[in-house]
Amino acid sequence: MATDQRTGDWYGTDEAVSRLRGQAFKSLCLGATLLALVSVFVLLLYVANDAFRPLSADIGWLLTFAASLLLPTLGATGYYYTRDARAGETAAIALGLPVVSLLLTGGVFITLEHIVTVYQWASIVVALAIAAAVVFAHGRVRTSADLERFIVLVAVPIAALVLIPDLILSLPMLPTEALALLGSVVVPVAVVVGWFVRRQRENDRDGAIAAGLTLVVAAAGLGLAPVVGLSPFVWMLLVVVTAVPVGLYVESVVRRGAGTAGLAFPVLVAGGVIVGVVVTEALGFAGPNSWLDWGFLTDPPSRTPEDAGFYPPLVGSVMMLLVIVVSAFPVGVGAAVYLEEYAPDRGWWGRLVDLIEVNIGNLAGVPSVVYGVLGLALFIRQGGLGSGTALVGGFTVSLLILPIVIISSQEAISAVPDSMREASYGMGATRWQTVRNVVLPEALPGIMTGNILAMGRAIGETAPLLIIGAPAVVRIAPDSFTSKFSAMPRQIYTWSSEIDAAFQHGVLAAGVMTLLVVLLLMNGAAIIIRNKYQRRD
Amino acid sequence: MTRDQMTDPDSRTDNQATDGGRESLANNDLEGSDPTTDPLVDSSIDVDKSAAPSGSESRTVIESRDLDVFYDDVQALQSVDIDIPAEQVTAIIGPSGCGKSTFLRCINRMNDLVDAARVDGELLFEGKNVYDDDVDPVVLRRKIGMVFQAPNPFPKSIYDNVTYGLDVQGVDGDYDEIVEDALRRAALWDEVKDQLDSSGLDLSGGQQQRLCIARAIAPDPDVILMDEPASALDPVATSKIEDLIEDLAEEYTVVIVTHNMQQAARISDKTAVFLTGGELVEFDDTDKIFENPEHDRVEDYITGKFG
Ligand SMILES: Nc1ncnc2c1ncn2[C@@H]1O[C@H](COP(=O)(O)OP(=O)(O)OP(=O)(O)O)[C@@H](O)[C@H]1O
Ligand SMILES: [Mg+2]
Repeated sequence: MATDQRTGDWYGTDEAVSRLRGQAFKSLCLGATLLALVSVFVLLLYVANDAFRPLSADIGWLLTFAASLLLPTLGATGYYYTRDARAGETAAIALGLPVVSLLLTGGVFITLEHIVTVYQWASIVVALAIAAAVVFAHGRVRTSADLERFIVLVAVPIAALVLIPDLILSLPMLPTEALALLGSVVVPVAVVVGWFVRRQRENDRDGAIAAGLTLVVAAAGLGLAPVVGLSPFVWMLLVVVTAVPVGLYVESVVRRGAGTAGLAFPVLVAGGVIVGVVVTEALGFAGPNSWLDWGFLTDPPSRTPEDAGFYPPLVGSVMMLLVIVVSAFPVGVGAAVYLEEYAPDRGWWGRLVDLIEVNIGNLAGVPSVVYGVLGLALFIRQGGLGSGTALVGGFTVSLLILPIVIISSQEAISAVPDSMREASYGMGATRWQTVRNVVLPEALPGIMTGNILAMGRAIGETAPLLIIGAPAVVRIAPDSFTSKFSAMPRQIYTWSSEIDAAFQHGVLAAGVMTLLVVLLLMNGAAIIIRNKYQRRD
Repeated sequence: MTRDQMTDPDSRTDNQATDGGRESLANNDLEGSDPTTDPLVDSSIDVDKSAAPSGSESRTVIESRDLDVFYDDVQALQSVDIDIPAEQVTAIIGPSGCGKSTFLRCINRMNDLVDAARVDGELLFEGKNVYDDDVDPVVLRRKIGMVFQAPNPFPKSIYDNVTYGLDVQGVDGDYDEIVEDALRRAALWDEVKDQLDSSGLDLSGGQQQRLCIARAIAPDPDVILMDEPASALDPVATSKIEDLIEDLAEEYTVVIVTHNMQQAARISDKTAVFLTGGELVEFDDTDKIFENPEHDRVEDYITGKFG
């Protein structure tokens, strides 16, 4: 060996290899990371403090909740973190899932309250069911007529959707709202639950039990709901949108038998809240005079800061998201599938496609104000739609997020390995079969993650709403897509220009907090979806 | 196996140099047997002649005429002429990068999917040029199944992997039975019969390779193209796959690419030797190739002097 003369100190640290520049670079990077994190964190803390005003509470109230809620959760978190990471994961989802599903329940409630009535929904469900039955029967009778089947597949649902709902809605006698909900929401959900459980447990009986249970518990609301002070309608929604996913999740954790300790976490949190409330009530400690409370979420805006609420903009945001989901997502995902799977890579037409792709990237960087102007010109001036409506707002913001949806979907699709496409073609699959059976299922989690993140971007957009004329204040929640609406960021903007300091520091912070919570939950959902499917490979 | 040198062509190169002839080489392993059946590479292995006697004139299914393939400007195959017989096993051997996979992919038009690839010349399947305009590559691929060089199961359950071809081709039948049969023939059934619902990606590399074989044979194609189907398998699984290939050759035409000379000698009836540059140097009965090749380059390659 060449190092013979210096035996013994080949491993030393005597300046042989300098690490100085490397260390300096590393510290700089760390500094940048910390600066970014700390500034965001301070901002959040500042807003949260304004919104909740924890210091306005009695010291006894703070101490009680610290003892009943804060300490146990901190303890549990520490335990999960150090001892049982698997349970920690369960704990995070077990706490997050009820919150997200409650939020979703609120969204569905708002939708059924203001956007489509239960009767409309029920008639659509009936129409689709009839269409499905017809298509199925046709497939049975005429097994080989491909083109005919395709025509039936397209035409029958359209015909059904056009004709049947009106027919049903014009019936002289309609069931009560609760019954209509039972038939059009609970029953389909119960069927899906049953099918899902059957597949998971590979057991017909378990599937039937799960479906039956869903149905019975939801139907029990017809009698029981008034006893606990809810309407049967709300009860059923809670069962279907909150209890069912939570139940399925708990079942899956118990079945897998790993990380079951995490299920205790939400119980701990809920128990802590209840104990805290009971104790503070008994001892007469006053809670914080928070701006963000139940009333804030359910009241309309008002001239007096104390009465100000956020309900109409919440509804407006939900409506806008609905428009976006049905307009931007299909268009964006469709474009991404075309560009990735069908568009030629070479030749004249291939170069054009390249140009288009580059420009989609550019469009993603165009400022949102510009999209607002585009929406104004396109939908209001040219299209003749009313200004400041949820429809126009949704369309305009759809345009804005379309490039993001396309690019993120394209990334998800191109991440599907080519070897899988080859395998499919090699088995004699057509391009359509390959896209449907292999590419889309594999890319779906990525597409969904991208779409949810894009939705997060959409829900916070303000400038386009200002330009398309969303009103500064909407006192009554919009009841159709063509009535004037306001969205959360639009309302926050209005509050920010109020002169009263209580608006600027309190109500505004509460609005920002609400918006941020919704955003964080959406991003959290996107991250969970991504992690869940990433782990597999 | 009784011979220690079975997988070591290099040791034989020396032998051959000293002995100065392959006749003596063959004979020092199998004393007294018919010299014409003694393969050059490994005399301990019987070249299987029961399935199709060497030299028998069998119908030709796949036929290439002056076939050139280019990837952009790089030529990967140079005017290949070959007649692949029906219901026999044809092995393709050659050094890495010589165009073996390219040739396989020409047969079922998988090269259509590579934008850079361009094919000149004719490739006839059952007498019809598959590159004619009126040939639907999807129909062609339903007749010609393929096992790829790298295992590529779908991210679906094992069961769904095997039924994929049946599904897309609209084959009717008892899927459970077909799945079991295909998995048994691919020597995988015993290992996975209790976990048919788990993902095909959770299998080991060798298991995935067998899963891909099961997937390819399930829809019952006429021709099966296999690109190194045993590259990641242990000797037991390899010999099961070889049995499968011999089985398949009773009814189907099998074209197999392999880097393992012994395997080629054991299972194939015909052998094609490609050498660097994409040239088909020699194509003949397997015994002929391994015992008495016409070209020195082929002999060098087989005996390990080359490459
Ligand atoms: N998709 C492609 N694009 C460009 N060149 C390619 C492509 N596929 C193969 N080639 C080239 O064609 C030649 C033959 O490749 P091929 O894959 O047919 O080799 P092979 O004989 O199968 O090798 P191996 O034994 O390593 O699998 C190589 O030089 C390779 O670089
Ligand atoms: Mg190859």
